[in-house]
Amino acid sequence: MRASSIGLLLAALALVGCAGAQKSNTIKIGWFGPETGDSALWGQAELNTVQMMAADYNAQGGVDIGGKKYQLQIVPYDDKGDSTEAVNVAKRLVSQDKVVAIVGAQGSGEAIPVAPIMDEAKVPLVASTATNPKVTVTESGQVHPYVFRACFTDPYQGKVAAYFAYQRLAKRNAAILMTIDDPYSTGLSQYFKESFEQLGGKVVAEVSYTSGEKDFRAPLTKIKAAKPDIIFIPAYYNDVALAAKQARDLGINQILLGGDGWPSDNLISLAGKALEGCMFINHLDFDGPEAQPMRDEYKAKYGKNAELNSYMVHDALMMVIDAMQRAKAFDGPSIQKALETTDIQGITGHIKIGPEHNPVGKDAWLIKIVGPDMKFQEKFSATS
Amino acid sequence: MNQFLQQLINGLSIGSIYALMAVGYSLVYSIMNFSNFAHGSVIMLGAYFGFFALTLAGLPFALAFFVAALSAAGVAVLLERLAYKPLRDRHAPFLYFIITAMGASIFIDNSVIATIGPTPKTFPSELLPSFLQSGAIRIGHVDVGRIDLAMFAITVVCLVALVLFIDFTRLGKAIQATAYNMKASALMGINPGFVIILVFAIGGALAGVAGVLYGMKYQVFPQMSAITLKSFIAAVFGGLGSLPGAMLGSLLLALIETFVSGYLSTQYRDLFSFIILIAMLVIRPSGIMGKTAEDKA
Repeated sequence: MRASSIGLLLAALALVGCAGAQKSNTIKIGWFGPETGDSALWGQAELNTVQMMAADYNAQGGVDIGGKKYQLQIVPYDDKGDSTEAVNVAKRLVSQDKVVAIVGAQGSGEAIPVAPIMDEAKVPLVASTATNPKVTVTESGQVHPYVFRACFTDPYQGKVAAYFAYQRLAKRNAAILMTIDDPYSTGLSQYFKESFEQLGGKVVAEVSYTSGEKDFRAPLTKIKAAKPDIIFIPAYYNDVALAAKQARDLGINQILLGGDGWPSDNLISLAGKALEGCMFINHLDFDGPEAQPMRDEYKAKYGKNAELNSYMVHDALMMVIDAMQRAKAFDGPSIQKALETTDIQGITGHIKIGPEHNPVGKDAWLIKIVGPDMKFQEKFSATS
Repeated sequence: MNQFLQQLINGLSIGSIYALMAVGYSLVYSIMNFSNFAHGSVIMLGAYFGFFALTLAGLPFALAFFVAALSAAGVAVLLERLAYKPLRDRHAPFLYFIITAMGASIFIDNSVIATIGPTPKTFPSELLPSFLQSGAIRIGHVDVGRIDLAMFAITVVCLVALVLFIDFTRLGKAIQATAYNMKASALMGINPGFVIILVFAIGGALAGVAGVLYGMKYQVFPQMSAITLKSFIAAVFGGLGSLPGAMLGSLLLALIETFVSGYLSTQYRDLFSFIILIAMLVIRPSGIMGKTAEDKA
């Protein structure tokens, strides 16, 4: 009885396996990101976007690769915003699902441990918003051959933030509030500090909290005592909203400045008036003409606004499709080789992959929070 | 000095929330001798009840509070009836109760994630009473948040009412007697089943209030129940089963946490709280005010 049922199961599995092998006109692309947890909003926005794009391509008959049309299939997994979980799902995507490439891996904390897995499996990963330098380059300075990204990096973002605080806002004493166990936050803090001090500014307080924290009053009280004239918070929107409210409660009225962890449709509704006049660095101008087609399509399809991650993962998937089309093949090594010479126009700017697998010369956009809106202020070119 | 005073206020405001949560753990422990780890999930549900009563149903603030307390009490009693009573009837070992509690907690949390969603919600400030809307109150050089102040007041009122109820009413006496010896008090005509329901209802109502206060101070989100683990530590610290102990433990734990993160670093905060917990269990297993050293499962 038991043996026969196992036999049946095996036969069924074999059938499924055959069915999978027959669908040779389908290309599987993996995606992973947080569908639950603190940054679920962004993960869901990414997944919505890649599925929308795949549906659009498939409706037109598929993606044209070397004269033949292929259907796109997205294989999604939830990494819960957790690095261990990210490693598990990345392994599953390359070994079980046998995807040709992966997009997503939005957080640096998840993308860094996944990078060696991609190299070993020879499956390319194009990260959407993982901005820490170590995502594409190892500690010892070697480039991960199979890891790329669609976004600019933290050293650049930190430099722009410091430049803006010092030159444009004429602030000289900065305080930093960072998430101590998140490489994105600690990395960006360090680059901001270096650039700000190089310009002649002073970092008067550098305090931290651990992720998941909801009460920032103790570190904020420390910041208040140091009397800074601007506060840099390289964190994700939910922490920023809470910290901003509590800072105002403690009588801290300085401008808060942040990075690309801030932009979210929920930021302002969560923070209320606490973020009025505060500013952050972004990858694009949400209201700009480049973003409009996707903004409208996303809104029409899902009934809510596209998040920053929607635009970033859009460009990441475009990079993969462009690479497959140029390589006229979709095996890992061919895609990898083509990705190295990527030179396309994305929604978030011109993407030309450099020797360290980062887009070189991408612009940074400074956005100011005015009432319920995120208003574009100034564009920084990578050359300035 | 100003910084010290400010941190003291910060600590007290966190401590008052811990206290409301911790008494729920302590009450159940005193009667049932097990730690109800599903209490955190009841707190989380209470916060959602309050949030939806205010935003969706559009109830006035005080009524929303009441609805949250009442529904959370209902959930707690339901939990007792559905999850714990079958175990009690079968005289299951206490370990089973704890495992059931954890299972119930995971079930409730994930149901909320699946139905309402994982993204945090904020109480819209325009729906709060006008007293709570504007910023901090300045006393000397110290800023006290209006919500913190209200929270402290509500906590004190709830806890004083609870202590008065336990000490001066017949029902309270019944709870005390049952806590002291369930079998003997049953022989004296006190219905233990009723006392247990009563205790879960009181703990649940306080959980509802705590949930709404926590949600107002921070946010409402499904993972809230994990954070309430701190209040469990506070309850153990003060002495599980003792109500004044739970309150004292909560305030002390919150003050220690705040001063460690304020003067040393946030990284050391949890290290310190857990070292204190372990040291307390080694040196004085019954906690600061616990009466007897029993098995703290």
